Amino acid sequence: MKLLNLPERLGLVSYRNQARSEIKPHIVVDTEICNTTCPHKATTYVCPANCYTIDDHGKVHFQVEDCIECGTCMYACDQGAVSWNYPDPEIGRGVTWNFG
Amino acid sequence: MEDERFDCIVVGAGVAGLAAAMVLARNNMKFLLIEKGEFAGAKNVSGGVLWGNDLARLVPEYWKEEEGGWERFINHRRLTFMDEQSTFSIDFKSAHFNQTPYTGVVVLRSKFDRWLADKVQEAIDASDFAMESFIAPNIKVDEVLMEHDKAVGIRTGEEKFYADSVIIAEGVNNLLTRQVGLQDDYVPADHVLTGIKEVIRYDQKVLEDRFQLNGLSGMSNEFVGYATDGVEGGGFLYTNRDTISIGLVLGLKDLRKKRKSPHDILNHFKAHPVIADTIRDGEVIEYSAHVVSSGDKRLMPRELYKDGILICGEAANLLMNAGKAIQGMDYAMRSGILAAETIVKAKEKGDYTSRTMKEYRTALDNSYVIKDMNGFQDAVHMLHSPQMYKDVPNLICDFGRKFFSIRNEPTRKSRELMSESIKKHSSYWDLVKLGIKGARSL
Repeated sequence: MKLLNLPERLGLVSYRNQARSEIKPHIVVDTEICNTTCPHKATTYVCPANCYTIDDHGKVHFQVEDCIECGTCMYACDQGAVSWNYPDPEIGRGVTWNFG
Repeated sequence: MEDERFDCIVVGAGVAGLAAAMVLARNNMKFLLIEKGEFAGAKNVSGGVLWGNDLARLVPEYWKEEEGGWERFINHRRLTFMDEQSTFSIDFKSAHFNQTPYTGVVVLRSKFDRWLADKVQEAIDASDFAMESFIAPNIKVDEVLMEHDKAVGIRTGEEKFYADSVIIAEGVNNLLTRQVGLQDDYVPADHVLTGIKEVIRYDQKVLEDRFQLNGLSGMSNEFVGYATDGVEGGGFLYTNRDTISIGLVLGLKDLRKKRKSPHDILNHFKAHPVIADTIRDGEVIEYSAHVVSSGDKRLMPRELYKDGILICGEAANLLMNAGKAIQGMDYAMRSGILAAETIVKAKEKGDYTSRTMKEYRTALDNSYVIKDMNGFQDAVHMLHSPQMYKDVPNLICDFGRKFFSIRNEPTRKSRELMSESIKKHSSYWDLVKLGIKGARSL
């Protein structure tokens, strides 16, 4: 069977509050740390939803929209850059699993 | 407002929290079960098999329900070693496992937890506090309220709810357990794994034929070796009603070190020729991921209780894979039951301090949960060693390929073939050491 790439996989996820234009991010990342002192930038490859990306200049960017609340980045980042929380049910994003 | 004070607030409607709530309801306690998701199970992910028989304690004769919350009972177990081209499996199927009570059921948590929550609601309705105990979804607990180092309730946003006790069943990403000081604020990646999974749908008849399922029987298959692309961990495949759950658990520290992405490794696993044959023609209908504890006791909170507080389920990192099965949900269920029983006793005594809360710890220590976690730590360490997830599967498959090759030429003795495979992928000395470790740990 055809293997799915990550965007196709994330397309199957039901996110909350998708109609809201403004959402309150449940994870805050101090990318200053990623871009100055972090030796591994591990979140950019271990995140199963690819919320952490590196641009052409090697800078780390974070977006919370695709986050599936797995928790991986909270452990993978040993540099203190990731402030992790669960999303607010009303004004946050996050997931509702159909199967789980 | 004292009249709105609960006996207990349970945080998290997963397996542990629901088990606790069921026992509280049955014992006529006034409680609040809080869930951050849209409904119980909405945010929960597991492999997953619920092993053992505690479910029947919560929902007697659950198997008689035609549309129960579970998917299939396990009567077929398989452990598969993989190299690049081959799989070598230990396969056990027995009609013995067809009898109720079942020894394991496959579940999909969004459905299972919601079903179990309905059962809890029924127990609430039959209790003395039918109108005063609640299951409250869509609420995120921001803080456990402490007074003189004793829990007195919880805060969500501006709102506060008060109780004599709080059961924290928030799952592995245990922010509240950290907030009350039972675990460090930062938990390193050393003893956690990332679980990643796809749910793949088939025509039910196709699924049943392919996996030789009969009625609601099901199969669980674990994988070691090639599946994880050299990263610590393993793979799994479980049969649901008309879907399969297929995925991996990957050591997070090792992923970081080897600079690999879990979603790439999942495709690597699915593309293996034997796996590709097994899962062909299905339609992926969900992709999910969640951190999971390794079963290493070093990950556990400093203590599982405090004045007015009990920690259960994976918030307490109660989980283990000692090679036989990945057990987590059954630990959650038992610990939830024991936690609630302690709260019931505390109410009788009128004492919610550590003196009574400690009885939970004692009960858990005397249960199979902590006994097994203590007894099988060496097995956990062994399974997470590179020999087990790399050398041994390669060696076994190498031997299998030679052993099963018929070439119309004089057949070599198995001992000679084995010796060759061992030298290629490991050494006798390493195997002797591993054998001793294995004999001791299992």
